[in-house]
Amino acid sequence: MNLREWSLVFFTILGQMSVGSFLVLGVAHFFASRKKGVEAADRLSDLALLAIGPVLILGLVASIFHLGNPTNAYRAVANFGQSWLSREILFGVIFAAVGGLYAIMQWRKLGSTAIRVVIGWIAAIVGIALVYSMSKIYMLETQPVWNTLMTPVSFFTTTLLLGGLAVGAAFVANYAYVQRKDPGCADAQCELMRDSIRWIAIGSIVLLGIELLTLPIYLGYLAADGGVGAASIGLMIGKFSWVFIFRLILAFIGAGVFGLFLYQTALSPGREKVMGNLTYAAFVFVLIAEIMGRYLFYATHMQITI
Amino acid sequence: MAKQLAFYFDSTACTDCKACVIACKDRSSLPVGVNWRRVYQYVGGSWMPSQYESRTMVPINVFSYSLSIACMHCEKPLCAEICPAKAITKDEQGIVAIDTSKCIGCRYCEWACPYDAPQFHEELGVMTKCDFCKDLLAQGGNPACVDACVMRCLHYGELEELRAKYGSNVEIAPLPRADITLPAFVLTPHKSAQATGEGTGWLDNLPEEL
Repeated sequence: MNLREWSLVFFTILGQMSVGSFLVLGVAHFFASRKKGVEAADRLSDLALLAIGPVLILGLVASIFHLGNPTNAYRAVANFGQSWLSREILFGVIFAAVGGLYAIMQWRKLGSTAIRVVIGWIAAIVGIALVYSMSKIYMLETQPVWNTLMTPVSFFTTTLLLGGLAVGAAFVANYAYVQRKDPGCADAQCELMRDSIRWIAIGSIVLLGIELLTLPIYLGYLAADGGVGAASIGLMIGKFSWVFIFRLILAFIGAGVFGLFLYQTALSPGREKVMGNLTYAAFVFVLIAEIMGRYLFYATHMQITI
Repeated sequence: MAKQLAFYFDSTACTDCKACVIACKDRSSLPVGVNWRRVYQYVGGSWMPSQYESRTMVPINVFSYSLSIACMHCEKPLCAEICPAKAITKDEQGIVAIDTSKCIGCRYCEWACPYDAPQFHEELGVMTKCDFCKDLLAQGGNPACVDACVMRCLHYGELEELRAKYGSNVEIAPLPRADITLPAFVLTPHKSAQATGEGTGWLDNLPEEL
């Protein structure tokens, strides 16, 4: 792997984490406002929303490092009609613009709630289109290992898993901030945080289940294909076996074991300290696991060629 | 003017001299690591001890044949379809060429092409590929590789005419299956030629040659 491929690893991971965080925050805000009112929900999610922008921009900047000729970078959207790569860049830029606009409006409470909700929905839909485009890029007929349903399934799983845990970590940090700045509303915030993290824990366990269930199906499909598929498996269990194994262990501990403890601690008030640390740990474990998974994705692909 | 230009290669006559590779490299001043045309030497078979004479080995199905391969100027060029910058286009003669001033150097076409035709030029930071020497064609000349062929086994012409004369099977190992991009290429196979996907041989080139 060279700088070029690492730049793709970070671009896709950060891009998907941004979209996932945006979607999970939207859901969390919806349920929080039904439970404790809009103001409390805003206090829960506004700071986390502002953190998404820099993550996405970091990802977009990382993507430039895989270009041999960055001065032409603006041309990347020229083939929107045919190329999923053009669509990805376009959706990425639109998601950054509309999502950023939404975050600023939400932060400064500009415009009516209805307008903000509409803009938020547009950003969410563009974000989903962004992740879908990302997966379609790799589904080339000459790339049999990538050209399967597994590519979109794993990209969306990564999106929601990383998005959920990033939001969980952001809520924990936000709660610490609220406790210091505004102790009066800490109780309501504490309850919202615990509720959110409980559901994020459940979601993480389900998504880990999807990852663990689809993997053997995918490996079976590759093995049945013989030729290039088998060669790809050979790389996974041969040269890159340590990445393959550590990735699974980290994902299992982060999303599964920590997820289970998170669910339990989120149910019992008074254990916020433990819950907070567990959330951070789960996020870091899953982030490293997903980066390793994406590294494998690029390192083990096989091309139909001479 | 041709509707779809194509290269024709006679695998029965090629001696693997690689003059076409050198002519291409020289004519387009290609750097180390970039070879728009390559000659793939596909070999196979083995030797076993003789049943009749001691300390003697006999060959079993030993074979070797060569394929001179550049861009196939495909009828369905996947590289042009997926290029985000619209830098790769197919012209009215069927030539697939890249405008390097439009290329962003993302190397996506490298993943799409099954013939290793678009190659990255490290110094320029862009992809480059065979353009059928279309400037020479415009002056009434031939592609440099064709003129350099010592055995006169590399030609070019209108795809339909070449197919009518030599047939349309290009699924010969080590070439990949042809249905992905519909290569505009015509081939007379060697007598030892093996079908794509059923090859028992391997490439015998130095890594630098490919």
